[in-house]
Amino acid sequence: MQMTDLPPAFVLFAAAALLAFVRGKARWVIALAAPVLTLADAWAIIDIGASTVVPFMGYQINPVHVHAATPVFATIFCIMLGGGMLFALNQKRQVELPAAFVYAGGALGVCFSGDLISMFIFWEIMTLGSTVVIFSGRQEGSERSGLRYFGLHAVGGVLLLIGIVIVINQRMYAGEVDPLAFRHFHEMVSGWTSLSWESLGMWLVLIGMLINAGAPPFSAWIGDSYPEGSESGSVFLSAFTTKTAIFTLMVGFAGTELLIYLGLWMALYGIVYAILENDMRRILAYSIVNQVGFMMVGIGIGTELAIDGASAHAFAHIIYKALLLMSAGSVLYATGKRKCTELGGLYRTMPVTMWCGIIGALAISSFPLTSGFTTKSMIVAAVSEQGAVMADLGQSHNHLIVAWFLLEAASAGVFLHAGIKFPWFVFFQKDSGLRPPEVPWNMRTAMIIFAAFCVLLGVFPGPLYEILPYKGVAAKFGATVYSFEHVMQMLGLLLFSGLSFFVLLPMLKRTETISLDFDWIWRKGVPRFWNEVAMPILQTLNRAQKAIFDFFPGAGSESRLPPELARRIGTNWAVSVPVLTITMMLLLYLVVYFVVPMLT
Amino acid sequence: MSDPIRKYLNLNDPKLIKWYWIVGLIVLGIIMAVDLAVHHHAHFAKDGIDIDTTPEFYPLYGFAASFFLVIVAKTLSIALKRKDSYYADD
Repeated sequence: MQMTDLPPAFVLFAAAALLAFVRGKARWVIALAAPVLTLADAWAIIDIGASTVVPFMGYQINPVHVHAATPVFATIFCIMLGGGMLFALNQKRQVELPAAFVYAGGALGVCFSGDLISMFIFWEIMTLGSTVVIFSGRQEGSERSGLRYFGLHAVGGVLLLIGIVIVINQRMYAGEVDPLAFRHFHEMVSGWTSLSWESLGMWLVLIGMLINAGAPPFSAWIGDSYPEGSESGSVFLSAFTTKTAIFTLMVGFAGTELLIYLGLWMALYGIVYAILENDMRRILAYSIVNQVGFMMVGIGIGTELAIDGASAHAFAHIIYKALLLMSAGSVLYATGKRKCTELGGLYRTMPVTMWCGIIGALAISSFPLTSGFTTKSMIVAAVSEQGAVMADLGQSHNHLIVAWFLLEAASAGVFLHAGIKFPWFVFFQKDSGLRPPEVPWNMRTAMIIFAAFCVLLGVFPGPLYEILPYKGVAAKFGATVYSFEHVMQMLGLLLFSGLSFFVLLPMLKRTETISLDFDWIWRKGVPRFWNEVAMPILQTLNRAQKAIFDFFPGAGSESRLPPELARRIGTNWAVSVPVLTITMMLLLYLVVYFVVPMLT
Repeated sequence: MSDPIRKYLNLNDPKLIKWYWIVGLIVLGIIMAVDLAVHHHAHFAKDGIDIDTTPEFYPLYGFAASFFLVIVAKTLSIALKRKDSYYADD
């Protein structure tokens, strides 16, 4: 058996197992070598186009497969893991790093999954790894937030699984050669508006993926859980879950128009919530939603340029978002504080953290000469390009016109909510009186490397364009990205967005508040409903039931459970109560089974 | 970081802030002036939409969009804002 027969994720799982046991220098060697080895293995597979089929529970699954977008996503996942490890290595937590390896392994595994079963397995491994990363954050809210994260993603995973089972069955029934294949659901593109039983499976798969992407109404989990990771934990968290979802949407649902609308919503939602936010890492978490929104629009458009744009943007985004969270993580590491209201004036003692944070902020705002400029612009260009194509064909494309104007507005808004707001409130603003020392060398080095990447990708995007799904299209775009016209447009948009920040600064002053979101429903609404509505009803029913059962002979005190047993199983009901309940349910069943059909 | 740089980053110094505003506005003025010389192509020419070719479209749009987003956020915050211990109170 050769290395290229194994999913590259296995290298990371092996590293995770080793890391759990070794201490000292060996830990550093493994943590930094494993991502490099994995990258080499991934590219060996990509270069020969390897595809491995193995039997699994009576199916033939395909855990080593190269999709068009696999090279770019596999590469960035490995780079991200390596950089994140360098940033994280000085800390004492024993569980976080192995968990991060498992998490990244799951993400990488999804990128190489040629069938739906492998995809699902790696997807769930990713959920487990990321939950442990959140738990090991040991912040005040880590535990509860981690449980909410796990609960939501478990639900998403179950929906995905049901969807996959339905899809596979439908394909088998239709006599498809490869019913398990993880491929494009082209049926959805033509008819996504028709919600029918035939498309139920695909819808469930789509919803499962959208939950992980942070699409509405499930955007809140990103802002809820990512800031609860440790300084380094949230760096890992920012990279894998949403971008893996983007990858799967790209493979499965490119060109599905619904994604354009969801993406636009996310791009604007992220800005509005980040404007109102006080926790520095939650600001950055909301801006993940905003950036993923851009990618979703690209996938929804689905043309070659749009897909290239979405994948290139995912690549660039992972680096500058990790850089921003490293910068915020360093501030947390040095000061122990997360709220903008408690921070400010840190430029005095944390210059490296500040400059790297500023470079990340410029990159996310897609300033010329940074990675955002050479990647995000591709998505926006794809919108207007597709508009022109559809105009030639005489097809209605008003949604693309609206999308273009909203994306330009969102591009301006990114500078406002992340580009200026984050560095301003953390490093400048008022003098908080904090004089923390600069962070250890490994954290600084990781930030400097990622900052260099942000600039290099902005100045020389060529190598990145080379590994995109449609490299010819990307290269053609690359020839025009630095046109005088385009640079001036971006500068005009961004600098005047900056002006509005400083004009409105009094309105942007931070307060110690949070903003409600759809997650209110399951964090407050459902518990409140349970306590104030459901429980009183149940208690009334319980009293009524007692009254009824007390009526029957044999339900008296002598047939009750022995006190010790009753205490252990938490009830003091007589055995006859469940027996009677079951009898009544059977009676109800008989009525439904025989009587209802007679009536209809 | 050397002290001269640090001195220029002290944004609590009102004199320095004034200078930054002046320099900033000059830069914005230059952008607006240069924008007049740029020939902007319409992104949706085939639909007869050419607002994005008008001079100063991008600066004005960038300013207006950001301004609008802040207003929207502030308006929504009236209904959505809670103390940050809201969920922890249970």
